[in-house]
Amino acid sequence: MTLPDWVQPVAQYMLETGLRETAKLAVVSVLGSAIVGVLLGTLLTVRWLPLRAVIRLYIEVWRGLPLIVTIFVIFFALPSVGVRFSPFAAATIGLALWGSAQIAEATRGAVQSIPREQHEAASALGFGWIGRHRFVVLPQALRRLLPPLVSLLVNVVQNTTLAAVIGVAEVLETGNRSVERLTLATGDPHAFEIFGGVMVLFFVISFPLTRLSAYLERRLV
Amino acid sequence: MTLLAGFDWAIVRDNLPALWHGLLRTLEVWVIGVAGSSAIGLSLGAARAHRIPLVSQLAAAYVEVMRNTPILVQIFLLFYGLPSLGVRLSPFTTAWVAVTLWGGAFNTENFRAGFEAVPRRYREAGLALGFSSVGTFVQVTLPIGGRIALPSSINTYISVLKNTALMTAIGFPELTNVARSIAAVTFRDFEMLVLLAAVYLSLIWTFSVLVRALEHRLALPGEAR
Repeated sequence: MTLPDWVQPVAQYMLETGLRETAKLAVVSVLGSAIVGVLLGTLLTVRWLPLRAVIRLYIEVWRGLPLIVTIFVIFFALPSVGVRFSPFAAATIGLALWGSAQIAEATRGAVQSIPREQHEAASALGFGWIGRHRFVVLPQALRRLLPPLVSLLVNVVQNTTLAAVIGVAEVLETGNRSVERLTLATGDPHAFEIFGGVMVLFFVISFPLTRLSAYLERRLV
Repeated sequence: MTLLAGFDWAIVRDNLPALWHGLLRTLEVWVIGVAGSSAIGLSLGAARAHRIPLVSQLAAAYVEVMRNTPILVQIFLLFYGLPSLGVRLSPFTTAWVAVTLWGGAFNTENFRAGFEAVPRRYREAGLALGFSSVGTFVQVTLPIGGRIALPSSINTYISVLKNTALMTAIGFPELTNVARSIAAVTFRDFEMLVLLAAVYLSLIWTFSVLVRALEHRLALPGEAR
């Protein structure tokens, strides 16, 4: 069976340009989410109320807003106050704000699940707050954090498609542009095949990760 | 403070009717999505929990496909892809079909888990009392399992509301789309998006508070929650 002529260039464009951009968006956003999220989630367990209140507000705002609205605010509204981001940066920041809010909530739970005695023992050994968390509490909490981190990865990968709306040439947007080009060139958009292909692509990436997350959940928690 | 001082309230006031109309369309799609995804979730969740042959496997496949693909791609496939097969959906139809199918998949999982959490012996007791299997489901499994599934299904409903904002990508004039259109004409992106964010947050926070209160009242007796 030979593929129709239009398939090869479209697939090449979507995989070489689009998929690479999707991967870049996902990696940067997940790293940002994990670092900021673990930090904020750990700080959410301190006793000082004003700090907790500020972090709580951060979590509720970025979890509450539809991600597309967050991305629009960063990309379209911030330039009015003199802050300008590229589409890629705006999408990454939006994804990381949303992802870090998810991880912060999970980290709080994970840190609080570590028994008091661990904190006390670490203090008795002379660790300060930072050392106690860095060397004793967080390494143990990480076990519990692994499943939510993997599901965050799945969700971030799926939500990178929202970057298409502000014109980042990730997989969905390269699919869009291919549909437009085919419509102009041949009159047949092949939209069903192209967007169906995008769907299959995301399924192939996400499904094993969802399984992994469920497996880790059973194994580790 | 200079930010707030520069906030042009007149733009908001002048466009209030259009924004209100957009909000109504958002709520319209949301209500259909909540009703539709509940219907799908309850029936397929029950089929999954009772391991009804074929339906159960098909439902599982449907859930996996919807959960492992981005909703924006699903929307594009419905709106731009289906016409290639001769099926042309309006933006409105695409909007409610997309959120219903998406929410239905998540609710299938929510209700399956809820129904499966109902202890087996309750069902056996219902059957022993002479209830038919449908009667047992309606009288026993549904009231208990439905309440167990409530918190997770509420999260799904909140996500459905947030997902309606994606319909701006196919030009459906819901709240986000209206706000963006006004900004495109007036160049007041800042005002429109701050307002948009404020409306979504108040909607979602109010809904969360209300349903948490409801959830508290509906909680199963004897559960320390």
